[in-house]
Amino acid sequence: MLAWLESTSAAVWLAESPSVWAMPTVLTLHTTGMALLVGASWVLDMRLLGLNRTVPLSAYRWVFRAVAVGLVVNLLTGVFLFMKNATTWGTAWPFLVKMVLVVASAATILPLRKYVLNSGTGLGDISSNARLLAIASILSWSAAVTAGRLLAYLVP
Amino acid sequence: MSSLFVLNAAHLHLVLNHVPTLGTAVALALLLLALIRRHEVLVHVGLEVLFVIALVTMPVYVTGAAAYANLRSGAEFSDIAARMHQDAALTGFVVTEFAGFVAWVALWQSRRTGQAGRGLVAAATLLSVLALAIMGRAATLGGEITHPEIRAEGVAPAAAATDGEEADLNKQFVASRITEYMVNSPWAWPAAETVHFLGLSLSIGVLLAINLRLLGVMRQVPFGDVHRMLPWAMLGFGANLITGMLFFVGQPGQYVENGPFHWKVVFLVIAGANFLYLTVFKKAWDADGQDSRFADKAMAVASLASWLIVLYAGRMLPFLGNAF
Repeated sequence: MLAWLESTSAAVWLAESPSVWAMPTVLTLHTTGMALLVGASWVLDMRLLGLNRTVPLSAYRWVFRAVAVGLVVNLLTGVFLFMKNATTWGTAWPFLVKMVLVVASAATILPLRKYVLNSGTGLGDISSNARLLAIASILSWSAAVTAGRLLAYLVP
Repeated sequence: MSSLFVLNAAHLHLVLNHVPTLGTAVALALLLLALIRRHEVLVHVGLEVLFVIALVTMPVYVTGAAAYANLRSGAEFSDIAARMHQDAALTGFVVTEFAGFVAWVALWQSRRTGQAGRGLVAAATLLSVLALAIMGRAATLGGEITHPEIRAEGVAPAAAATDGEEADLNKQFVASRITEYMVNSPWAWPAAETVHFLGLSLSIGVLLAINLRLLGVMRQVPFGDVHRMLPWAMLGFGANLITGMLFFVGQPGQYVENGPFHWKVVFLVIAGANFLYLTVFKKAWDADGQDSRFADKAMAVASLASWLIVLYAGRMLPFLGNAF
């Protein structure tokens, strides 16, 4: 299965094409998606933890759209990048750790979205659950970015 | 673009290198004048000039390293003088960036409260005196590199150094020690890369929020409230300036002849100027709850575009250039 993925024409093209549209563009999109996804999540997390308490929570709804765009871009480019390295990454623990961290981080966004949409103007106190989720989101996204970056060094 | 730049790196450095000395002298004069005349607007102008100088000092350092790489083999070239100049310039760079940072904090604060904190203004002034002194020394040392007639005694052009001499030299100079550390340490480069990616996410997230506000999302939120988030973008940028300089000083050869890197530095200066605009401008504050002016929207688009180009050029370094 992993070997088949790596031998598909798309994976071979990504690995071998000298074109600027191959690895350079796919990696840049993956990094841009990361910045959008992680950066927007952190902006909401900081609000939940007390930065800009006077701003209504409802003003932060754009965050979920930014996160959705970032997630879609990184899912597509991520699958593509994985296909290129399927046989090495598929069994490497740093990659599996990264996947667990990404899924855990992305999972925090759903209850946070529900909380923001349900809290009206949200000028009152932030529930302790929401604050815990915000802390979890900051930490697990940081860990996911770290794992992703170290992947390039640990699993060449 | 790339080859043209490399041919002219020394020329470009000779033009730009006046900014950290003369520019800082101008900023210092403005700040002292403001102190004597007790004029708040002059304080702001002095701080703004200091911030812009900190931005332009980035290409000054980068073109200097490029010039070094290109001139090393010249007959009149003194490697020792160049290394002494480089170390002084690196120290001067750090102090200048720090002065620019303190100036920025004072500007950010004065935008919110109407007055820059006296302590911050005093710190920025003292740092600019220090920066001026160190950059002045760097400039003097720089002049000696290819001018034997003004060289101090003991700074003779070394005949091609042997490997042993080269290793001895590398131990004496800070820039060379950073290079050795970044190249030989198994974890320094990956750790700096990780911080660089976390920093870029933080900066882009905060700038996205601020610029989306200017573009009409979150229109009901007063601009002053998103303005409060700017220091977090500065934190991300600061982390990336430090780690970015570790990469550059660590492996200058990867960057000085690297086309995307030149674009990255150019757009960093543009994005930095835009950041200053976001920090100090006035019009958006008056338009609470209303749509921003067209000019502010154009600035918001320019801000996002220039940061994305910085990111794109950075990510392209290994592909279009030769960095890893």
